Amino acid sequence: MAVKPECIAMLLAGGQGSRLGILTKNIAKPAVPYGGKYRIIDFPLSNCVNSGIYTVGVLTQYQPLELNDYIGNGQPWDLDRANGGVHILSPYQQIKGTEWYKGTANAIYQNINFIERYDPEYVLILSGDHIYKMDYAKMLDYHKEKNADCTIAMLEVPWEEASRFGLMIVNDDGSISEFEEKPKNPRSNKASMGVYIFNWKKLRQYLIEDEAKEGSGNDFGHDVIPAMHNDGQRMFAYQFDGYWKDVGTINSLWDANLDLLNPKVDLDLNDDSWRIYSRSPAAPPHYIGENAKVENSMVTEGCEIGGNIDFSVLFANVTVEEGAEVKYSIVMPGTVIKKGAVVQYSIVAENAVIEEGAVVGESPENMANVEDWGVAVIGNGVTIGKGAKVEPQAMIDSDIGGAE
Amino acid sequence: MAANNVLGIIFSNANDEVIPELTALRTMGSIPFAGRYRLIDFPLSNMVNAGISKVGVITKSNYRSLMDHIGSGKAWDLSRKREGMTILPPYNLPGTGMIKGKADALYNSINYIEKSGKDHVLLTDCNVICNMDYEALYKAHVANDADVTVAYAKGIPPRMEANTEIIMDENSRVTDTKILDCYSSDVNYSLKVMIIRRTLLERLLHEAHSSKIDDFETIICNNVKHIRIYGYEVTGFIKVIGSLQSYYDISLELLKLENRKELFTADRPVYTKVRDEVPAFYGIGASVKNSLIADGCRIEGEVENSILFRGVTVAKGAKIKNSIVMQGSFIGENSTLDCVIIDKAAVLKPNKMLCGASNYPVYIGKGIVI
Repeated sequence: MAVKPECIAMLLAGGQGSRLGILTKNIAKPAVPYGGKYRIIDFPLSNCVNSGIYTVGVLTQYQPLELNDYIGNGQPWDLDRANGGVHILSPYQQIKGTEWYKGTANAIYQNINFIERYDPEYVLILSGDHIYKMDYAKMLDYHKEKNADCTIAMLEVPWEEASRFGLMIVNDDGSISEFEEKPKNPRSNKASMGVYIFNWKKLRQYLIEDEAKEGSGNDFGHDVIPAMHNDGQRMFAYQFDGYWKDVGTINSLWDANLDLLNPKVDLDLNDDSWRIYSRSPAAPPHYIGENAKVENSMVTEGCEIGGNIDFSVLFANVTVEEGAEVKYSIVMPGTVIKKGAVVQYSIVAENAVIEEGAVVGESPENMANVEDWGVAVIGNGVTIGKGAKVEPQAMIDSDIGGAE
Repeated sequence: MAANNVLGIIFSNANDEVIPELTALRTMGSIPFAGRYRLIDFPLSNMVNAGISKVGVITKSNYRSLMDHIGSGKAWDLSRKREGMTILPPYNLPGTGMIKGKADALYNSINYIEKSGKDHVLLTDCNVICNMDYEALYKAHVANDADVTVAYAKGIPPRMEANTEIIMDENSRVTDTKILDCYSSDVNYSLKVMIIRRTLLERLLHEAHSSKIDDFETIICNNVKHIRIYGYEVTGFIKVIGSLQSYYDISLELLKLENRKELFTADRPVYTKVRDEVPAFYGIGASVKNSLIADGCRIEGEVENSILFRGVTVAKGAKIKNSIVMQGSFIGENSTLDCVIIDKAAVLKPNKMLCGASNYPVYIGKGIVI
């Protein structure tokens, strides 16, 4: 090993993201497209390289094909390196048998040998589920300054939402006095972001102990961190200010995309000093036609726009024919929206076809009962027939014939 | 792949003199084109798409922007241990001085050509905009057992110096060539893309060197009777950039869907350096018609019949018509542009107006602030 890295990152990317329904039928949640040309995993990966962390293990388990293919040799993130770089770590057969990753901690436990090869001082644990820009180097400085064994990134969430998160009660010096997992009556609004830095030697010891423990869920949040806390290890919270979003549900994925159109939202993807890198297709600039109208939207390479686009995010190679309308929607790569079709308050996945005159989704204002409203979702490669109608909240997984 | 027995050679500086405005600071090959490309992307991608895996890029002067753009060749999958892309900078052999013509430039790289071990060499300039199937060109070359195969197009040739018309028999064998002086009728004109047998190329280069002939085309034309030269017709969207005016006209022709479809095909993509720009953002009140817009643009004004490169800002109330605005330029509030070519990173402050004519576009240089 040429240069021993001080800190390596382990990115947990095995989750299914079951609340994203048909969007994660064939891909893992970190591979879900976001923001016109990214996938969720671009954010933690880009944060790593921008923070100077060049050794990243990506732990995959659920539907890894597309994710593995996307990460490839790591070239888009400058992670194709002779020393370090990105490594896909899948569960593997061992002499004592075959095991899936049972929990987040077990996934790291099964890759102790990988980490030992680099013999780092610190290990950064990340999840591939969140949209945020964060300098992990600053967090590492804080970790060292506090002489901590474990530092957990936290952010203050609105009190009314606090009960959905794992919360921490933090002392004035930043040390953590108590943990509360999704409590009914929260006593704190400081939520864990699922970003941890551990002293590797200490973590290693706790992973081995946790594995030996009967009945442990082998999870960081439920098992390993409480065990460390009970033993009086030095646990600190690192406060993060800035945009952070868990895109775990259809609505939050839709929101997080539309956040990009809101100038008040603090997520600048055009920041030269903190680029978000992605693997992009080779496509020419997009074309806006003679009769098109595009406002308050994001459009990327390869799109051919003839219709009206408003408050929407369009991914690469999307075609919107003349007279079609796309409003408050997310349209993923390669989808075609034909003449006179209307796509509103929807997420349309990759390579779908919305035939002429079809209507997908509905505005909440037009609902008799707002409770029934929700974002409509069209799955990968699905065709919605001529003049067909897709109700709000619907999840369409297979072709729908025409209305005639 | 079929064309794996071909060495690719690109002349990045050939014809620099025809667009002095755009080549003042760069090579012909690094002239920005079509919103996110440089001219060299077209021949380079054509080569890679044909399976050519060893490419030499001949440079002469002002090639920093070119090197910045092509780097190690990664974007074209040409950064390799075996073969891959090599930049061939000028090389002063004792007593030769600065390289002059193409023959001289090739002679300078004769070791590289010899060592390639390939049986054929494909030579091309950068100012031909075409998604050309080099594999088909190579197959025709082999099928004819040709020494040289020259790609040509049929039509009214571009106005340029030293345009060559090729005259063929019924089997496409070239029987004669002549320098064009007429630009009004349809002829078969050379696209300056040719495949030549490597050993023949080496022999011709040694001869040219000893007889002090610079112009490579002349050497080929002089030998038309002695070597088997064939023509290969290329159809579809083929444009030769021969002046600032033709740069402007050809650029705007890409606003037509049928032209884009021919130049940007899914099975033979055009690769370029990736810049990781965010998708283009359209503000409230933006109005864009019949235009090509690259990533990283922020548009709050009006854009019509124009091409915006990556990272261009169009402020509120600004109007851009019939214009080409290159990477990173800024068009201030209530400013107006009509028939203008703006080079990279220029700034037009608020309330300014610049107008050219469609047959005389105004050119604003790199980094200029108005």
